[in-house]
Amino acid sequence: MSLLETRSITKSFGALTAVNGVSLAIEAGSLHSIIGPNGAGKTTLFNLLTGTFPPTSGRIIFDQMEITGTPASRIAHLGLARSYQRTTVFPAFSLFDNVWVSSFSRSKRSGLAWRNANTYPEVAERANQALRDVGLENKSKQLAREISHGEQRQLELAIALAAAPRVLLLDEPAAGLSPEETRKMVALVRALKGRYTIVLIEHKMDIIMSVSDRISVMHFGSLIAEGTPAEIQKNPEVRRAYLGGVAV
Amino acid sequence: MKRPLIWILISILLLPLVVRPAIASEIWIFAIFGLGANLLLGYSGLLSFGQSTFFGSAAYVAGWLMKIHGVNAFLALGIGVGVGAASAAVVGYLCVQRSGLYFIMLTFALNQLFYFTAYQWTSVTGGEDGMPGVPRPEFPGIDFKDPVVYYALVSFLFLISLFLMRKIVESPLGRILQAIRENEVRAEAVGYNVPRFKLLAFVIGGAFSGLAGVLYAMLFGIVPLEAISFVFSGNVVFATLIGGSGSLYGPVIGSFVFIWLSESMSTVWARWPLLLGVAFVLVVLFLRGGVVEAWHKLFLRFSKR
Repeated sequence: MSLLETRSITKSFGALTAVNGVSLAIEAGSLHSIIGPNGAGKTTLFNLLTGTFPPTSGRIIFDQMEITGTPASRIAHLGLARSYQRTTVFPAFSLFDNVWVSSFSRSKRSGLAWRNANTYPEVAERANQALRDVGLENKSKQLAREISHGEQRQLELAIALAAAPRVLLLDEPAAGLSPEETRKMVALVRALKGRYTIVLIEHKMDIIMSVSDRISVMHFGSLIAEGTPAEIQKNPEVRRAYLGGVAV
Repeated sequence: MKRPLIWILISILLLPLVVRPAIASEIWIFAIFGLGANLLLGYSGLLSFGQSTFFGSAAYVAGWLMKIHGVNAFLALGIGVGVGAASAAVVGYLCVQRSGLYFIMLTFALNQLFYFTAYQWTSVTGGEDGMPGVPRPEFPGIDFKDPVVYYALVSFLFLISLFLMRKIVESPLGRILQAIRENEVRAEAVGYNVPRFKLLAFVIGGAFSGLAGVLYAMLFGIVPLEAISFVFSGNVVFATLIGGSGSLYGPVIGSFVFIWLSESMSTVWARWPLLLGVAFVLVVLFLRGGVVEAWHKLFLRFSKR
């Protein structure tokens, strides 16, 4: 059964159609990757799924509920959490506070303006768990702007995890990482597999092929192929798109 | 955390011995104003040039109710808090739709709207002459006309304000507002309705401004037109930045420096705002954290030896 579905969604910015009639079905519990050359519309698709902006046409269905046009701040409460391609954290906050803010968002907001922020044990526990999941528990007191890029990428992921999501949308978690850091990140994503339904955007083919259950290929805003990693590797149209040719 | 509070208590006790009680009162009133403004400026990262809108509106409404309708002064203080919050809700609702420069200009423009309304509506506000005859509270056995007694009332309300603001900034709300300051996009993505939280910051800040506005009117017995002008809006931003917008106590120290400087220098030297300008430039160039940061640095240097 598919947990997250799009039905021919399209997003146009003026004359540019960034996403063109994409229909996707993400199976519950699977790791579904979306690949495609730069500018294929992958991140735009994520922005549509997380309510950053509404689609021009088409529908988005999450857990048999229509969520088309739901604003971003509501989407998080439904259980869709995302990470960003460009690190998007809270720089002057400690790592703990970074994940705490995300964790609190999903809890009951009783005492919002008068209860001390340090008196929410269940929120703090989920925050700590998210840091443990990505291996940053030892740095929880450090400021986000003072850790390395690789660690910031891990934090990026931890913020999404702390929101107790059902679906994780990961936008190039390994962007800008060294080979060593990339290996760590792949191990991390693999460890999360099964615990969450994951939608992954990635450029690095070796990552994609080794972790994905299914792969969808985007090119110029449209889906050109979908299948298992083995099927995708053999697909001539995918090869053409990646070798710089224009899909006709 | 206890230490700043002790310093503040000592200052409250000693201040009337150093300066006239009226100036001492003004310092704590301005500090209440600053506490509210700093929830926007320091915690939420929103530069509002319209804080006097709430300060002035509350002063006019409460002043008018006391003067014309004989409303009890304590009740009027409460009404002032309400008017401050309500006017901030209206202004805030319009302003939070935009960000950056447009936000700042909107706060400024709406402030001008209120200012010119007060300027034109002379039958109620007195226009340029201000609204005189604002009474002070009356209570059997306590004479609030005595400057020292009134100072005690102001100090008491300031301490309550400080206590409440500390509660707020240490609550989840305080942390969420700071998260919005740090990264609005991410705050929205993890599930916070950012415009609504900004609006909440406006309303709370407006309530503090309202209290300060009414106390100010009672202190001088008049609501001057300046109370709702952009000069007042600018002053509170100025004072907060000089004190240090990054901390709870920054605006308190800022208002101390600002009022003390303006009251003591203005009689000696007509061009005294030049000094403020210099202080401002120094803060912006070298000490983003204001006096609070300077103090910490100094403290660190001495404790190292």
